[in-house]
Parts: sequence; structure tokens; C-alpha cells
Amino acid sequence: MQRVPQPPLNPALRDLEGHDFWPGFVAALIGIILTFCGVRHLTAVDTVDGGNASETQLIKAFTFDGLQYASKVSSPPPPRGDDPEALERWARKNREAEAPTWKVRVDTAAKTPCPT
Amino acid sequence: MECPVPECKQRQPTELGRKLKRVRPWVQTGFLGVWLAPVGQWLHGIPSCVFHCYSCPLSSFACPIGVAANYAALLPVTMEIPYLLLGVLLLVGAAGGSLVCGWACPFGFVQDLLAKVPVKKVALPAWVGYTRYVVLVGLVILLPLILGFKGIPFGDQVISICRLCPAGALEAGLPASAQSVMAGHGWPMSWLKTLILATFIGSALFIHRPWCRIFCPLGGLLALFNRFSLFHLRFKPSECVECNLCRSRCPMGVNVDKQVNVSGCVRCLECSTCGALEPCFALPKDNSKPALPK
Repeated sequence: MQRVPQPPLNPALRDLEGHDFWPGFVAALIGIILTFCGVRHLTAVDTVDGGNASETQLIKAFTFDGLQYASKVSSPPPPRGDDPEALERWARKNREAEAPTWKVRVDTAAKTPCPT
Repeated sequence: MECPVPECKQRQPTELGRKLKRVRPWVQTGFLGVWLAPVGQWLHGIPSCVFHCYSCPLSSFACPIGVAANYAALLPVTMEIPYLLLGVLLLVGAAGGSLVCGWACPFGFVQDLLAKVPVKKVALPAWVGYTRYVVLVGLVILLPLILGFKGIPFGDQVISICRLCPAGALEAGLPASAQSVMAGHGWPMSWLKTLILATFIGSALFIHRPWCRIFCPLGGLLALFNRFSLFHLRFKPSECVECNLCRSRCPMGVNVDKQVNVSGCVRCLECSTCGALEPCFALPKDNSKPALPK
């Protein structure tokens, strides 16, 4: 080990750096309360099965690629070939299809590893 | 500069310091068993307090930084407050500051092991530590907030910080790529991520804990608690003989001889080997009590 030389310093004048108990204690207490609330908290995000997702389900969805976005739900591709009737049916079906009422929802059964 | 203290070179590490040095790798190995427990897959709904990729096939908890970035990406769609994440980080930070970085973080442990390779280490200036806050605000909060679930380089469902994270490359990308190569499907990890991983491993040989010191947003966040956490290091002037063993032992390049409870410290407690710096807990009446028996 290479010893770093000591700069001129008077140990008696140095700050002791002892910490006060209360700031740390209050912060830790707030942490405990937040953790407890978080475990029980129901988010505003829906699940695929219906109902609201809990915070742990939402976090699990992050890790297992379980978030579904309404904006990403794609319509079926147009029919191949030159059949005008099939094309008309496809266009009518697309018009009639209701827009999803949700913006984002949680698939609690998702098990896909995150694509990191 | 020549050391003015005659007994400086003769000063030997204290028994407590020797003990801590011996014990720390074993504690880190023990925590590895917690973060890499395959039976704990159901705990993925709970964020951990260390930097560890949740895409790792053996990970048991969720990565707090990945979770924070995901919450930020969710903000344009729905406003959700991450109570659980904030609670875990506040609790861990207030209790021990960055103690988990030095004793429990698996990614820090990997870097500690890489630093054992006997190569001359490069010293870094203290200001590089502020980059961690740029990463925290820019990559973890602002960019996901603006781009949503698109990352850099643009892609679907990939958060920017995860796209660029060497922990993800090491713990998730590398096993997946090895599996793919063995199955004859080639190397699936992107060139960017492979380059980041190679650079990280290379730099960890020459710089002690480069990720923790320059980029780690979680370490930066937890280090903010170092100034008032219950567990802390206290200076005992009566024990100080100005030998500067404390600063010489610090692998993180902190000016321990001036101030120790600072944001650059990972609380590995190497500096306590001199005996003048004592790990202790803050208590309500008596100012503090030694955390470890001598």
C-alpha cells in the first residue's frame, strides 16, 4: 500500500462528524410508512382481468414486460388480394371497432423477460 | 510532500479494521445469495436497494433504477407515485446511507473483485462523482418522461438507462447471449451494449469501482443520506496521529483526512483501520454509540 502523505492538519480542529439522531430517525420512519403504504396501495392502472393493479403488480409488470398500451394495440392487417368486398368488410370492421377505454393496463400473467 | 509525523509509516491497521477487511467479501457473497435467489422470483414486485438488473435469470427483486425509469415513462399516460420505491430507498438511505453500496451491492462486488487484479490504478478527481446526478436526472427521470418507453437508440419497450446499463449487459445480456451462442443462434446482444460491457470490464481493472464513482444513479442517491444517516463514521481526535492511513486505505479516493461522511463514500469502512474513524450509530441521548465492538 502506498501511503498518501498527510497535509498540514490539526486533528483537534477537525469536525467530529457525529450525526444527530432525529433527522435520520424521522426519514427512516417516513420510509417505513411509505413502504407499508406502497405494499397495500392500489394504482389507477387496470389489469387485464379487470380491477386495479396493486403497486407490486405494476412493478412486476415492469420486470416481465407486462404493460400493455392502448396506442400499441394494432388492428388486423388488410386482406391480401384484390377482393373489393373483403377490403370493404375489413374497413367497416375497423370503423365499427370500439376504441379501448383504457390507456395502459397490466397483464399480471406476463412472464416475458424484460427486453433489456 | 513529506510526512511530518515520524511514526506515520509504522502505524499498523487496528484489529477492528483487519476484521472488517476480512469479513466484507463474505458479507458481499452472502448478499449475492439474496439478490440471485432463483426461488425469490415472486419478489420481483418489490424494488431492492442495490443496483441489480431484474432481467437477470436469477434475480429476486426489481432494480430500483429500472423501476424509477419505468414510473417516469408511465407519467405521460397516468400519474402514479412510487410509494414502495420511495419507501425502500428512504428507509435504507436513512438507516445506513451508502452502506449497502460497500457491503451489499452485487455490481459493486464484481467491481471490487476486478479491482483485485494487480494493475496500477488510475486516480479520479472528486468532481466526477457529480456525473451520477446527471445520469439520475437525465437518463432515469427526464428521458423516459420525454420518450416514454422508447429508449436510446430508439426501440420499443426499452428504457434508455436499461439500454445503456452495464449491469444489464453483464447479468442479463451475457447469460442470454451465451445461451444463444451455445444453441447456435449467434450473439444477440447489440454491439452498443457489448461495447459498454467490454469498456466497463476494462476500466474496472484500472479504476476502482468506475461505475459507482462516475455513473451509478442509485449510489448517488443513497450517498445524499451520508450526511445524516443513523449509521455513520465519527472522527476521534484523540486517536489521530496524522498518519493518514485512513486516506491511504480509501479505494474511492475520498479525502478522508478532511471529511468522511461525504457523497463519494461507499462506506466500505476501510478508512476505519487507523482507529481514528469509528463506525457508529446515532442515538437520541448519547451523541453516538460504536456500531461494532472492538
